[in-house]
Amino acid sequence: MLSTIQPPRYLSRFPLRGRTKSRSFHILSSAQPVTKTCFAADQSQILSIRDSLLNRHLSAVELTHSYLDRLKQTEPHINCFLHVSDPDKVLKQAQDIDDKIKRNEEVGPLAGVLVAIKDNICTADMPSTGGSYILEGYRPPFDATAVKRLKDLGAIVVGKTNLDEFGMGSTTEASAFKVTANPWDLSRVPGGSSGGSAASVSARQCVVSLGSDTGGSVRQPASFCGVVGLKPTYGRVSRFGLMAYASSLDVIGCFGSSVADTGILLHAISGHDSLDATSSKREVPDFTSQFTYASSLKSRPLEGLRVGLIRETVDAGVDSGVKSAIEGAAAHLEQLGCVLKEVSLLSFSLGLPAYYILASSESSSNLSRYDGVRYGNQASSDELNALYEESRAKGFGSEVKMRILMGTYALSAGYYDAYYKRAQQVRTIIRKSFKAALDENDILISPAAPSAAYKIGEKKNDPLAMYAGDIMTVNVNLAGLPALVLPCGFVEGGAVGLPVGLQIIGAAFDEFAKHKCLLNGFFERNL
Amino acid sequence: MGSRALLMLTNFNFKTTVSSFGSASNPFFLIKNNLRTRNFSTKTRSSLQPPDLPGLAETARISLAPNEVEEFAPKIGQVIDWFGQLQAVDLDNVEPAIRADTEGDNLREDAPQTFENK
Repeated sequence: MLSTIQPPRYLSRFPLRGRTKSRSFHILSSAQPVTKTCFAADQSQILSIRDSLLNRHLSAVELTHSYLDRLKQTEPHINCFLHVSDPDKVLKQAQDIDDKIKRNEEVGPLAGVLVAIKDNICTADMPSTGGSYILEGYRPPFDATAVKRLKDLGAIVVGKTNLDEFGMGSTTEASAFKVTANPWDLSRVPGGSSGGSAASVSARQCVVSLGSDTGGSVRQPASFCGVVGLKPTYGRVSRFGLMAYASSLDVIGCFGSSVADTGILLHAISGHDSLDATSSKREVPDFTSQFTYASSLKSRPLEGLRVGLIRETVDAGVDSGVKSAIEGAAAHLEQLGCVLKEVSLLSFSLGLPAYYILASSESSSNLSRYDGVRYGNQASSDELNALYEESRAKGFGSEVKMRILMGTYALSAGYYDAYYKRAQQVRTIIRKSFKAALDENDILISPAAPSAAYKIGEKKNDPLAMYAGDIMTVNVNLAGLPALVLPCGFVEGGAVGLPVGLQIIGAAFDEFAKHKCLLNGFFERNL
Repeated sequence: MGSRALLMLTNFNFKTTVSSFGSASNPFFLIKNNLRTRNFSTKTRSSLQPPDLPGLAETARISLAPNEVEEFAPKIGQVIDWFGQLQAVDLDNVEPAIRADTEGDNLREDAPQTFENK
């Protein structure tokens, strides 16, 4: 079943107790609140955990032990984490949850759920380095709003995951500390920049995780690691506590092993935050109530849903294996009743240079705060400018330095109009073209990346080749739209094949309204 | 940004840039000096100069070792050339979008609010 695909068994010899492996599926109730579950919740890890805990089938401590054991076992091979929480602290939190349940007290909807957080999201009691030497050892004095909301709902933060430095990269090789491996094939990249978060969910080291998406950094690793990745609408989730890379493009995104889990996680972290002026005041719909019963579905449950396949994303330059997986998924959608059309977005290819101009420029400004004066590593020097220059030279990796320099160039007097302003104009064009396409279609689909995971070290020396891999994802960030990546097939490679993800793009703030049916459709499919 | 103002003053005349930097305490100053004069070109102001890495590094407050300059210059040059393709697009009458602007107005009411005296 798609929602429970996971890497080969040799990586996880301790199957999680309480997780059912039945091949039939049941869809979540639409009317019932999350606390009352009366169905086999194997569609959602979070709900099945909640079910087991409240019915006393499993204790939070046992659950935590099994995840922590698996983490300890798999971590030397995949290296997802930059910091793992002290196991005693984690077990104590689990024990507190068990005690509350014993006393029949309310526990939050995410009680007992182990979450991994990408290391560019600030957590008060753990180091947050952003994957960079310049912030080595930095312990923020506050939690990011998204983290605070998760903790308030009872989630247990199991650690901080590896990433490309400050989110700049597509492979997680640009981390200052370690390279994460793809659990499906240890010689391949997990994608980036949220590679650690994707790999940790893929290897079942945690239930769900948070990442950040500026140009595809949640969706591409989700595709490479075979998990579900969700990028919400810009403004849906507060960015307070997320180390800024490109402020007009960054969002915090969710990873889970099923669409239901990512929906529950998104619901937990969404909403207006007065600490983030760009966060939307719009009502957050209860995403979890939009999933529907299997039994109430007709044989063509997605009847009438208008799906647009973006033609430019299945043209030349895309792996044939990926193309056939996407075409297979599209055909399956048609079987389920969708009306499939090909859509052409003429400005599609402009998005990539526009994105890199905007992202480099904004990052050159955002990363100017890292000067070594107060936090992190400081180079010794007698003169202030030299202190800045040496600390930054030693603290930043080469990818970050290059992007800062490119951004500085693009924003220089005389060049601003030629690059940054033009890129912003291209952003307007892309926004309009997506809006037009989404007026005609309910959702748009495309691959999440032109290929499956490639080998570690393959794209290291050629920046343009690496940037080219982001073509499918950056336009969505420029337009600020939500997108979901679902595993939809495999290509040749590795021991058992490499996963490929289907990207589903919706209208702004419409994260799940149209997707609710899709998750049923895909889960019917047998791999 | 003060650094942008500096570039405007220099008007791409690298010789004056060099002389306007008083402090020579930076050990890379001499190397940057040489590379800068080597990159000096007589192109007119309106055409886009290729990236002057040592100058950019100064603006960005990152010191670059000479081998880094050699390593980065071709890669950055390649990417900047690739950025150049936006020059060919017809963008007359297109409003620049500051951000995705999925919301429209996100401003609070224009009414006074009292805050804690922190």
